[in-house]
Amino acid sequence: MQPEVERELVRLCRAGGARFYEPIVRAYEGPGLRIALGMLGSPDEAQGALQEAFVKAWQSLPRFDVERPFGPWFFRILRNHCRDVIRSQRSRSRFETRDEKLELRPAGVSSDPEHLHMKTEAKELLWKALSEVGDEHREILVLKELEDLRYAEIASILDVPEGTVASRLNHARRALRSVLLEMNVEYP
Amino acid sequence: MTNSVNHESLMRYLDGEATPEERSRIEEALTSSTELQRDAAIFGAMKRDLQGMTFPLSRDPSVWGVVNRRITRPVGWVLIVAGFAVWTVYGSYLYFSSAIDPWEKLATAAIGGGTLLLFSSVIYERYKEWLVDPYRDVYK
Repeated sequence: MQPEVERELVRLCRAGGARFYEPIVRAYEGPGLRIALGMLGSPDEAQGALQEAFVKAWQSLPRFDVERPFGPWFFRILRNHCRDVIRSQRSRSRFETRDEKLELRPAGVSSDPEHLHMKTEAKELLWKALSEVGDEHREILVLKELEDLRYAEIASILDVPEGTVASRLNHARRALRSVLLEMNVEYP
Repeated sequence: MTNSVNHESLMRYLDGEATPEERSRIEEALTSSTELQRDAAIFGAMKRDLQGMTFPLSRDPSVWGVVNRRITRPVGWVLIVAGFAVWTVYGSYLYFSSAIDPWEKLATAAIGGGTLLLFSSVIYERYKEWLVDPYRDVYK
């Protein structure tokens, strides 16, 4: 979405036009769902967290600086809500590696069934490792690797200096590698 | 890590966030340090695999419907309740200040009050059931 279009939509929403919120919701629900899913693990809880975050964002729109992009601000609300959910222990014991709504798709396209099976299995292990890596490590890995956000955007969402992002990513990746080693998965 | 390249620099390099000077320094260090080569290979492969984890969630409907209901319904409820309260107070005032027989007023008030009590108790029971309903979050 063009920044000027987004700004105008946010202005109209602040004036009370709920229907102008729809394009914003549709633009950010995809990445938002992936972030919530990466942080919470359960597709149902991710969907619930996403809805809640959009409602909270709507209620907080009067305090939002229209000159700033909506995305990082919304993702921060979503991330904080996901953290609350995790803190309340509702999702911890229900981290699902597989769900009928969730399908892990290998990065490369392969026609060899055996190769495809091995790759899918590797991705499942990676997903499991991601669930065991710790909340702080997982959230930064989700923002960087799953959403491919820039360091500046991640810093804005996590409310940390930009220089801290590389340091936290380094710790998170090393923690993930340790978990994978415990699962007898060695890289590369 | 080497003297000139630390862990954070390597992360910035892998993520495409390193400055041109930092990038050339790391690339130079990569030719001589096996430790750096190994770390770059490990984290590079891990990054590719993580980025390959995509979630096709197209079967899920958009959350807009639910969000829309949640942000617009409270306004409707506030208007309905406010209008109902105003009409009730004004109607009661008109009725009780009129010249109708007091017995008639009492009987009408009893019917109105009784209906309201029954209605609110049914709503309260349904609310209590909803609170403990294990299937309340199941989408139809």
